[in-house]
Order: sequence, then structure tokens, then C-alpha cells
Amino acid sequence: MIFSIAKKDFLLNLVSSRFVIGFLLCLFLIPFTLMVNIDDYSEQLRVYTLDKAQTDKNFKEVKVYSKLRPEIVKPPEPLTIFSGGISSNVGNRVKIWLGEKPLLATGKTAIRDNPLLNSFFSIDFIGIIAIVMSLLALIFTYDLCTGEKEEGTLKLQLSNSISRYKILLGKVIGVYLILLPIILFCYILSIIFILISPNIQFSAGDWGRICLLFLTSILFLSIFIFIGLLISTRSHSSRVSIIVCLFFWVFFIFIIPNLSVYMAESFIKVQSRDNLQYALDDLNREYGEEWDEYEKTLKRPDWGRHWNHSWGRDGYQELYGTSKSRYEYYRQSQEFKEPLRIDYADKKWAFQKAYLDELDKQKNLAEMISLISPSELFRLVCSAFCRTDVNSHYRFMDRTRIYREELINYFKDKKIFSSFSYFTPVPPETFMTADEIVRIRSGGEFKNNQEYREWVRNEQAKGTSMRSISASLGKVDIPETDPNAYSYLDLSDVPIFQLHFGDILTDLKECLFKISASILISILLFYLSFISFIKYDVR
Amino acid sequence: MLKYVIKRELQHYLYSLVFQISFLLITAVFIVGTIAFLKSYDAKIQEYSKYNVEFTNGLKNTAESNASNLAVRRQTFVSKPRGNGFIADCKEKYLPNNFIHSAYNVFGFEVRSGSVNPFLNNFQELNWSFIVSLIMSFIVLLLTFDTISGEKESKTLAITLSNTISRGTLLWGKYISVIMVTMLMLIIGIILSILIVIISNKVALSFISVIEILYFILLSFFFISLISAFGILSSVIVRKSNVSLLIALTFWLIFVVIIPNSSMFSAKNIFSIEHSDDINEKVSKARDDINRNAPEGSWAASGGNPFLPEHELRADNQTNLMNSEMNIRNAYYQDMFRQLEKTRLLTMISPISLFEYMNEAVVGGGYLRFQKVWNDLHSFQPQFLQFFKELDANDPDSPHWYNPYENYSTTKKPVNFEQVPLFEERIISLEERFSFILKYLLVIVIYTAVIFFSSFVLFVRYDVR
Repeated sequence: MIFSIAKKDFLLNLVSSRFVIGFLLCLFLIPFTLMVNIDDYSEQLRVYTLDKAQTDKNFKEVKVYSKLRPEIVKPPEPLTIFSGGISSNVGNRVKIWLGEKPLLATGKTAIRDNPLLNSFFSIDFIGIIAIVMSLLALIFTYDLCTGEKEEGTLKLQLSNSISRYKILLGKVIGVYLILLPIILFCYILSIIFILISPNIQFSAGDWGRICLLFLTSILFLSIFIFIGLLISTRSHSSRVSIIVCLFFWVFFIFIIPNLSVYMAESFIKVQSRDNLQYALDDLNREYGEEWDEYEKTLKRPDWGRHWNHSWGRDGYQELYGTSKSRYEYYRQSQEFKEPLRIDYADKKWAFQKAYLDELDKQKNLAEMISLISPSELFRLVCSAFCRTDVNSHYRFMDRTRIYREELINYFKDKKIFSSFSYFTPVPPETFMTADEIVRIRSGGEFKNNQEYREWVRNEQAKGTSMRSISASLGKVDIPETDPNAYSYLDLSDVPIFQLHFGDILTDLKECLFKISASILISILLFYLSFISFIKYDVR
Repeated sequence: MLKYVIKRELQHYLYSLVFQISFLLITAVFIVGTIAFLKSYDAKIQEYSKYNVEFTNGLKNTAESNASNLAVRRQTFVSKPRGNGFIADCKEKYLPNNFIHSAYNVFGFEVRSGSVNPFLNNFQELNWSFIVSLIMSFIVLLLTFDTISGEKESKTLAITLSNTISRGTLLWGKYISVIMVTMLMLIIGIILSILIVIISNKVALSFISVIEILYFILLSFFFISLISAFGILSSVIVRKSNVSLLIALTFWLIFVVIIPNSSMFSAKNIFSIEHSDDINEKVSKARDDINRNAPEGSWAASGGNPFLPEHELRADNQTNLMNSEMNIRNAYYQDMFRQLEKTRLLTMISPISLFEYMNEAVVGGGYLRFQKVWNDLHSFQPQFLQFFKELDANDPDSPHWYNPYENYSTTKKPVNFEQVPLFEERIISLEERFSFILKYLLVIVIYTAVIFFSSFVLFVRYDVR
């Protein structure tokens, strides 16, 4: 009996205009969204390939360890096609510095080619499913009781010897029969799109995740079917019921997502990035003072010139062609400096962590408020399955911080901070004293440094230009001073960053609470509508 | 006769369920939104003034040490949080709001780091503009989707039309009454919101604010008329009210979801511009070219001797480098602006996007404000340079070789900070805003007329049986 009711409802709906319009809406919206998101993914992939080539090149082409600062580029997540999560707000590149722990990722996913376009939002597959399927679920259920009541057929049905719960069950099954094919159609369409796109590769695990998405979508659909059902059994005219349904819909889908984030942003204060920067600047100053203090205890080298010197951020020094004493001076200073900078990175982290915690608190409040809406619940679960949620990003950032520790341990184990190879590829046995440099470079004109210095003093007194004074040491080149004479470091034993994805089960466990909550909500809604249908006044 | 129709319709609407629910919803959102705005505005203003103090102190220290350092210093102008953000925020926090400039050039703009929490989803603030464009448009469609088809179903349409009333008057009456009912809700909400703003005393309402509010109400009126026309159109296309509801909802989904969310796609694919990597490559290539062709000694420098002859070469070289880079970049910025403007033109098919753009003009925010600051900075920069050059001309210890990036060959004397011109943002004048609105207003009026006229034509032929 249940099935004949289900069949009747199914057939009635199949020829209805709402089915046609709903189906057309999906037929138009789903391919469009897929196209947009696949296009977006291809663009991310293009940028990633460029970035990756660049960072790999930078990683390999180092001659001194102080330049070894790997940059991690996270490959784009193919599942962003389904759910973008926060992936377009956070970056995908993390540079590993010794003097600072990675705080937030940077990169082009966060900064677009044209920042003015940031004011345009975009929607993903799951977003469209949430909007359209919830609307369809409500449109197909709002008149489940009221519609037949108004036509008078409900009375006729109930006058038979059929129990009310069977009618209700039959009707619900009828709705499922009509909506499941639509949602299945959407997913099949997306799979076809993915299969025909040349540059998207899905692993077996990813297909499993898509199955999970499909199951979650059905669960989500059920919640809205039961909301519609409940409203229908509580109201006496279709007009009232549809109005209430639509208000719920607009409230859940359009107001709550904006409301939740806006409230979180307004009511939880996050200190500005400037403030954080001021705190870090203070620490930098403190570090500078500590270093200045130590520098006084170092023996000043007797020679100040070098023939090739590059330097840069985070301790980068590349030094060629200076005297033994000056090499030794640099070695001693960096032996003190680099561990100190690493210590200061830990001190800075205290402030950075506080900042991150505030951001996290804001996010948590937004998430909590948004859980009022089943569609937000659905989107959160889906983004977790697609590894584009905040927690996946946290895991990635944690991994980068662990990797930084690994790198530091590598430096420490190999005692690189106290070795010359940190800042010069010149082998220590070929280092020359100042006297030797003067003798060779001047072609034997000066015997030693002392003699040369006196000569310089005399020339300066005569007013000879600096340029011709310098030229006196340019007569004979020392081959060791040329950076091109050295090959790149052998970095085969440097730790490599590896991206660990959690498997499906861990992601599933994380969402277990949300999923079971959705199941409970739908059971509760069904139970409530069942009760009110039993008591429904058919007149 | 029209009066009777309106009276009847008003009664019908005011007692309807839609009106009651929407009235509650709208009032609640108005109150919550305004309170949340005031709360966040307070924090933002504090942050902004703290930044400003730090920034001015930094500038002052530079000025008092060395005028050249002040001239070459890259200053970041940050636009102030807007007090009228409760009307419309124009998604300003996603737009670039840092402007980088020195006395020699305006270098570029960027999105301020930390202005958005990256762990939050993109969202719209619950301000007046959001309420009208999203919630009110939905309510208007719910009120109007069955104006004709609903009456047909309840058979009252046939009775009404058997009177001497013309179909035009009937449709017109219904149209006017829907607009009246919605405007009533809107105005009550606005009054509540203004009351909260006044009581909180965090935002000073001035004469300009009053004009802005009036502008907003006027534009909302046009917007609501357009959406009502769409609602009526969906009720006369078909004969059954539940089908016309689906049509109305489809309109709404297209306007709210599809068109705005596809703008990024159309911007990238239809109005594509070069990638920023390519531009950076061009810049560095031009840079290499200039350096390669620079005369010998262009990079020589001495901190102690400003008159070192090579400094002149160095200043020339640096100026060339700046000009070549900025030529490429400015062309690219123009491309960016065109890309955004064209995309906006395309998305104007959606009344909701159209309304959002109009609100930028109402409150003087968003892209319009961005453009204003950008242009004003470009006219401020020569003045600043002029000031610096005059200063430099009076210094006998300076060789007057202007180097846009370094302080080697210009005056190193301190300068009195009070005399230094500082850039200040001027709000967009009401006339400018109005001339901007006028364009859009024309579009919206024509749009409304076309939609309403088509529903009129369809209604005249409507089968009342």
C-alpha cells in the first residue's frame, strides 16, 4: 500500500511544472558551476606549476647554507571543485625562515591578479546543491498534506482502511523517488565533467570522498524534506505552508551564513596585524641589542675588504675572497647569531600564536552560530571531506612548522651554524691571510698588509681618488674569489617537506558529531511531523 | 477607482502572513545589523587611530632627521573606516585599501593584510543595502508572485474585472500598493536603525548623512519598483500561482546567486587581462635593459659626499628605472580598472548587483571611493614633490640631483614637520555622487518600464477563466 501511494505521488510530481522547472534549474546551474570551478582549478594548477618550478629551482641553486630557505608550495586540491571551503582565502605558499615561524600562508590563491575582483564572490558545487536541493525539497513537500486536503482527496484516502502513517511514509518515499534522481543526476554530471577535463586527476580516496559527499547530500536533503513535511502537517493551507517554508529557506541559506560571520567579526575583537608587527619589531630590537653586546666581545678582523659579498633576509650571507681572520669573524658571529634568532623565533611565536588564537576564536563563534542552519552544517561537513576546511589548513600549517624544526635539527646535527659552509663555499684550507691577499693581488707590489695600509694613507693624503687606490689591488685575480667557480651544495640529505593528508576515516571521525547531529535532527523532524500528521484535521 | 484598488490591496497585504513574518524578520535584521556595525566600527576606529599615530610619528621622525628620506619614503595611506557603513559596506574590506606612494610617484595599492580573517568565509555585512537587496527583494517577490494568478485561482479576478474597472488601473493599483507596503516596512526599519545609531552616539550624523539616507530611500524605492515589476511579470506569465512562484524564485536565484557569483568567471574569461607574473617579468626585463645601457659609474655612491659626480648618473638611472616600471604598472592598473568596470557593466543585468553599485555612490564607498583616493593621490603627489624641490632648492649643500629611491644627492637638512603636506582623503561630494547615480537611475527606470510594460501587455491578454 505504501508503495502504491509513493508511486502515485511520484507520477503526479513527475508531470508537474515544479519538477520540470527544478530539473531545468539543475540542468543549467550544475554544469555552469562545474565549469566555473574547473576553470578556477586549472588556473590554480597553472600557477602552482609555475611556482613549484620556481621554488624547486631556488631550492637547488644554493651555494651556502644560509641561503637554504625552502619554500613550500601546496598543490591545489582537486576536490575544491566540489567545495572550496576557505581555500580561496588562505594562501598556498609558506617560506621557511629560521627567524620566524610560519604564521599564515601567502601566495596567489590569497592575492589575485586583480585585487579589485576580490569584491566578487564565487560559489562552488556544494553551495549550489545546498541552495537548489533545499529549495526543491521544500517545494515538493510544502503541500504534502495541505495540497491533498485542499483538493479533498486526503479525506477520500483516509476513509479507506489505510493507516495514517502508511500514507505519510508513502508520500515521503514519493518525494525521495523524485528528488534522488535529481541529486544523482547532479553528481553524475559532475563526474562526467571531471572525467572529460584533461588536467584533473582524482585518486581512489578522492572518489571515496565524492561518495561521502553524495551520502551527505542525501542526509542534507532529508533534513529539508522533513522541515517541509513538518511545516506542511502543521499548517492548514498550502499558501501559508509555502510562505513559511520559503522564509525558513531564505533564513537558513542566505541570512545565517552572513549573520554568523558578521556577528563573530563584530563581537570578537582581533588585534590588528599592525599590533602584532609592533610586538615583533620590539623583539627584533631586543635581539639586535643582544647581538651588539656580543659583537663587542668578538675580535675585530684585521682586514675589511671582500671581493664578493651578497646578503639578505634571515641571515643570508654569501662571502668570497676575504681574509682568514674575516671569515673567522663571520663564522663566530653566525655561530652566536643563528641559534639566538631561532630562540627569538620561539619568543615571537608566543605573540603570533595569540593572534592565531584570536582568529580561531572568531572562526569558532562564526561556526557555532552558523550551525543553526542545516545548510551551513552541510557545507562544513563537505569542506572537511574535501580537505578545504579550516582544520585541514591548520594541519598543513602545523606540518610546515614541524618541517622547520626538522630543518633546524638538520642544521644543528651537521653543526652547520659553526661551519664556514654556512656563508661561503670557499674551502677553509684555501683561506688566505691579509698579507697573502695583498701580495698576490698587487702582483708583488706590497709585501704585506701593513705596507699596503701605509701606502693607502699616503695616497689619501695626496688626494688620489678612491678608484685608483682600489685599482692597486686589482692587478692579479685570485681564482677562489669568483662565485662561479663553485658548484651548488649537495642537498640530498636535507629533509624534504611531505604533505600528509589524513585518510577518509580521520576526516569522518572529525565530522562524526555533525553528521550524527544531522541524523538526529532529521529523525526528530520526521517524528514531529508524524505526530502532527496523526492529529491532522483533514476537514 | 484606482484609490479603491489600492485601498483593498493595502488591506489585503497588511493582514497577510508574508507581511507579518517579513515585518518581524526585517525589523530584527535591522536591529541586529546596526548593533553589530556599531560594535565593529568602534574597534576599527580605535585601530585606525592607533595606526595613524604610529604612522605620523614615523613620518615626523623621518622629517626631522632628513628631508630626502621623507621624500623617498614609501608611505602607506590607509583609508579610514566609514561611519556610514551601516547603510552599505560596499565590500570595502575585500577591496584594496592600502595606497603606496612617495613624493616621486604613486606606486600601487594592495589589500591591507589582516583586514579580513582568512579563516572566515566571505560574507556580506547585514547593513541596509543587504537587507533591501537580498531580503526585501525576496519579500517583494513573495508578495507579488500571485497578484494575478492567485486572484484568478480564487476566482475574484473575474468578478473584479466584471466591474467597469480597466485592466490597466487594476494592475497599476496593485503595483503601487505593493511598493507602498514594502516601503512602509523599509522606512520603519530605517527609523529603528537610525534611532540605535543616535542613541549609541558612536557615529555623528551630519547633514550629509541625512542626504545619504534620503538618497538610499529613493534608490530603494526604484529598486523595489523593479523587483515588484518582476514579481507581477511572473504572475501574469502563467495561470497557476504555484508555477508563478517558481518563476519568481527562478528570477531571484538568477539575480542573487547566479549573476553575482559568475562575475569572477566572466571577468577572468571574457575580460581577461595579463597575469601579474608576466607583468613582473616585463618590469624586471625593462630594468635589466636600463641597467645594461646605463653609463659607467651609475651605481657608484658615497654617503659622505653628495657632490660625487656619479651621483647624477645614479639619480638619472634610478629615475629611468622608476619611470619604466611605473609605465608598465600604470598600464596594468588601467587594465585592472577596465576589467572591473566591464564586469560590473555585465552584471548590471541583475537588479541586485545594480543596486549594490548604486549604493557605492550613495555612501561614497567601495570602488568609487577607491578611484577617488587613487586619483586624488595622483594629484597630491606632484604637490608633495614640488614642496620637496623648493626645500631642496634652498639648500646650498645639495646638488639637486633628484633620485626617487635614495637620499644621496638631495638635501639632507631636517624639515619642520608642520610644513610638510600630508595627504588627506576628501569624501566624494554630493554632486559627484548624484551625477554617478543618475546614470544608474536611468538604467533602472528603463529596466522597470520594460518589465512593467511587458506584464501590462500580458495582463491585457490574460485569460481570466
